[in-house]
Amino acid sequence: MSRAHFSGVAVHIDDNEQVDATVRAVLHDVLGIDAARVAAFRSDTPLFGALPELDSMAVAGLLTELEDRLGVLIEDDEVDGEMLETFGALTRFMAGKALQ
Amino acid sequence: MLRFGPASGPVVIAALPLFEEANRTRAFVVTILRQLTLRGFAGALPDLPGTGESLIETEQASLSDWIAAFKSATVALRPTYDSVHVIAFRGGALVDRDGAVETRWHFSPLPGRTVIRDLGRIALAAAKEAGTHFDPASLTAPGLPVEIAGNRLNRALLAAIERAEPIASPPLRIVRLDSDPLTADRHLPGMPLWRRSDPDNDSTLAALLADDIAGWIASCGG
Repeated sequence: MSRAHFSGVAVHIDDNEQVDATVRAVLHDVLGIDAARVAAFRSDTPLFGALPELDSMAVAGLLTELEDRLGVLIEDDEVDGEMLETFGALTRFMAGKALQ
Repeated sequence: MLRFGPASGPVVIAALPLFEEANRTRAFVVTILRQLTLRGFAGALPDLPGTGESLIETEQASLSDWIAAFKSATVALRPTYDSVHVIAFRGGALVDRDGAVETRWHFSPLPGRTVIRDLGRIALAAAKEAGTHFDPASLTAPGLPVEIAGNRLNRALLAAIERAEPIASPPLRIVRLDSDPLTADRHLPGMPLWRRSDPDNDSTLAALLADDIAGWIASCGG
């Protein structure tokens, strides 16, 4: 379980389903991808390079929003093509951060 | 300065988010100001030096100029209106410091260091795409202006923003989105339009926020 503290509030993320739901919500909110389309994403659905909405500028907003909602910190040198390659890779990376 | 609504009564002056987020949310903030005119409030949306319609180059801008310009805008409204109220969005809360105003309302405010972290990440993403090197720590170090997302920004401005915190003195109300885990007086459903690459609008959220602002100002005595 991760407990990140921001000015008095604790973020509790304690299961993979919560991480999965948060990643889907952020893809919808930040990239403007239709909710039904995001709901149909599978572990092997390709992201970076496959979604026209996900350019390098959008990656910056996506990761910052994920940090805020999951209460984690992503180091700049951890950001690479691999973690953004598929929906499953991104969710596993974020779960690794949030469920430490 | 864009003006909306009646030429008397209470006036609400808006501070837009900083940098690229301002472009992404300007239409949304204008929608909120228009919604407020339907609730009996005049509205004002100033352009800070080096932004929007301002004649000053963006790279000449400083945080103290922005704070002073926002204060001057609040002072200029006072003779015309009964009361002056600030609504500030995101990093706009860092510019709302010195205005002599009756109430403050901040939507998703953030500390300056988070604004700079976001900018650094955008610059890093652009550098990676161009195959060049970029060190986010260089943003606030002394040096020539740095270009981020098409804007040339003064590094002294970025260093001043990095040290800035939103004002915390009452009467202040903080509203955030449901998806934001930070503490607030109220959380409302909606999407973070400031993260969208293309400007978007949300009239449902704008109406909810206009109701919240109107209720807040009324609860403070108008």
